[in-house]
Amino acid sequence: MSLVSADDRVPPELDLADTEPENWVEALSLPGPRQDHAMSSLHRMLLRASRHQVWRMRSALAGVGNERLEEIANQAADEAMMAVLAKLSTFEGRSRFTTWAYKFAILQSATEVRRFAWQHREVELDDLTHVHERGPSPASYVEAADLASAVRCAIDVALTPHQRRITIALLIDEVPIDVLAQRLGTNRNALYKTVHDARTRLRAHLIASGHLATPHPQAGTS
Amino acid sequence: MSQARTPLSPQTARRLTLDTDPYLSCDDCFDLVDSYVEALLSDPEHDLPAMRTHLAGCAACAEEARSLVCIVAEQDGLDPEPALRRLEDDPT
Repeated sequence: MSLVSADDRVPPELDLADTEPENWVEALSLPGPRQDHAMSSLHRMLLRASRHQVWRMRSALAGVGNERLEEIANQAADEAMMAVLAKLSTFEGRSRFTTWAYKFAILQSATEVRRFAWQHREVELDDLTHVHERGPSPASYVEAADLASAVRCAIDVALTPHQRRITIALLIDEVPIDVLAQRLGTNRNALYKTVHDARTRLRAHLIASGHLATPHPQAGTS
Repeated sequence: MSQARTPLSPQTARRLTLDTDPYLSCDDCFDLVDSYVEALLSDPEHDLPAMRTHLAGCAACAEEARSLVCIVAEQDGLDPEPALRRLEDDPT
């Protein structure tokens, strides 16, 4: 099965034909005409990546016109440009500069699209306390016939209220992590760490109850 | 509306119980993703377990990594499929 969908392809009209500086960091750092040219080339490159990302995620923006999509891509490219210039001194050459710069545009535009798509949607932070009333009791969760039921019970008994709310929002309700971070005034890192810890607790609980196999000693060690 | 009251699908149960050790933060993933993508495009067998594990557990970082694979492959005239396939591999 092909993993390249129509959304993965870069629209041909977005191809960049301009000459690019050999040493981007130097060209962007030293004032003068070369810097102006490099700035202009960088922005064009970031806009190309932003359009690519908005195009990939356009199904999340059903009903949004091309003009608005172009505005989102331009805004993301502008913000990515500021991020790239602010981080220029951290570029270590572990990848090509173009690949390094693209990732800023992709991050910025993906975040913009997710936030735009969710701007009028409420985010419910459900702590699943009703499971005590509606589902099996914690004492009987070990008797749950299938993994899904056991996971649902484990969410209720093994997680802290904070872990439960974040995990349900991100992994069950599929709220995008950037959207949840914005609503809660936090960041992607903190939310991912919360989910990582929650998964660790859930796995330990389900291994203890026999619903998950004990991991091989060599696998998944940090 | 929250889906918390509906039964969990097998996919959701798997997402909830994914082993995400070794831990890698989203910031660390962002730091590494450009060199990782280039390495994957030149050698689809290239492996960085912490990175692959993070991408399996973080939908946002995974989408952005796939996108970076596609745009770099397009720019270099490469086939992105082997690298994308590697990204889809189960890290466990």
